[in-house]
Amino acid sequence: MRHVVVVGDMKVGKKEDSIVTYALGSCLGLTVYDPVAQVGGMLHAMLPLSRINPQKAEANPFMFVDTGVPKLFKKIYSMGGQKARLIVKAAGCGQPLGKNEIFKIGDRNYTILKKLLWKNGILLNARDIGGTGGRTVYFDLSTGRTIISSKGLENEL
Amino acid sequence: MKQTKLLNILAKVKSFPSMPEAAAKLLVLLDNNDTTAAQIEQILRYDPGLTANLLRLTNSAYFGRPCQVGSVNQAVVLLGWKKLIQLVMASCVNAVMGKPVLGYDLPAGELWRHSIAVSVAAEDLVKELKIAKSEEIFTAALLHDVGKLVLGGFVKEDLEKIEIEASRGISFEVAERIVLGTDHAEIGAQILKNWSFPPTLVNAVRWHHDPDSADKTDTLTDIVHVANILCLMIGIGVGREGLCYKPSPLATKRLGLRTNDLEMVASRTLQYVDDLCNVFESR
Repeated sequence: MRHVVVVGDMKVGKKEDSIVTYALGSCLGLTVYDPVAQVGGMLHAMLPLSRINPQKAEANPFMFVDTGVPKLFKKIYSMGGQKARLIVKAAGCGQPLGKNEIFKIGDRNYTILKKLLWKNGILLNARDIGGTGGRTVYFDLSTGRTIISSKGLENEL
Repeated sequence: MKQTKLLNILAKVKSFPSMPEAAAKLLVLLDNNDTTAAQIEQILRYDPGLTANLLRLTNSAYFGRPCQVGSVNQAVVLLGWKKLIQLVMASCVNAVMGKPVLGYDLPAGELWRHSIAVSVAAEDLVKELKIAKSEEIFTAALLHDVGKLVLGGFVKEDLEKIEIEASRGISFEVAERIVLGTDHAEIGAQILKNWSFPPTLVNAVRWHHDPDSADKTDTLTDIVHVANILCLMIGIGVGREGLCYKPSPLATKRLGLRTNDLEMVASRTLQYVDDLCNVFESR
């Protein structure tokens, strides 16, 4: 089955499934995969911290990095994923041009992700972060391959 | 060579469809403070499709009305006639903005979704920043990218050259101008001029990527500028050029915009867009 992750959304799957998310700008796209259990999931989170709008976070925790990331990991554990085997990859967190701090939502998203992973002793296996390019992420759960498409080019992450 | 290109582009602008008649008539009413519901009904009476769309929008989750609105008159009472005219404009441009856009690689419906997103984000920014509201914000935001519909084909033809220019770290519309002699903001403004839109609105579209270069800076332009970049950042209508645009530090300063304001508006925009766009997609 092919799952589509929209903005502020998470999908999980196993074996023959695939997961895709389109149009990552400043948002964080995070994939987690256990190659032995062949389970994986993808998060597309828009903003770094849920405290900006707790009501929204209550209704949709996947909108925020600080509430969405733990949910993704817990879901993968509940499907048989084991922490020691997980392959974690991050994409997105882009920025518009210039040095305007207000618009560095992508930067802040990535910073919060790093803090969360660090606190939980999890390392990022690969990342394609920052820059002005929009990104689409294809995640194949039979192989764990993650393909990033940006500006008409495809690359494996 | 560049001169010929520019002439070809301008010829395309001339042959661009004219504003739907009902929308043109309503836009005149928007400037007039004595407009009555009867006048609006009079114009809509001859366009049942438009009326149906209008009522669908009025009944969308975005406005959160507890009961169904069944007539134009009721809609005027509930929303006020200015909001109502904006909704008519939105349904008028749905057909043309819903097409796929070449060059920028926007699939069908994505420019429309982006236009609606920038409109609701712009209105939400005004609310969040407690700025005096201008009735033209919704329409200016709705139409800010109309130039992409004309320029897209030309961008596609010269994409490689434009992308090489843009890869030097300049904004995409500046790269368009270097290669094509014009950019989508200028072309959009020209279309609105041809449609006899009021100058403030034309101005907001003209300078939506470069608000500091306008003869006179304007809150309307600054708001559309910020709302546009925000919507691209959250992935609504982000095309092949990605986030290759530059937010103006002066515009954010003029607006008194802070990080929290921007993130707050971002957190609400998605829901608003879904509420409004579902009306058209569920047909």
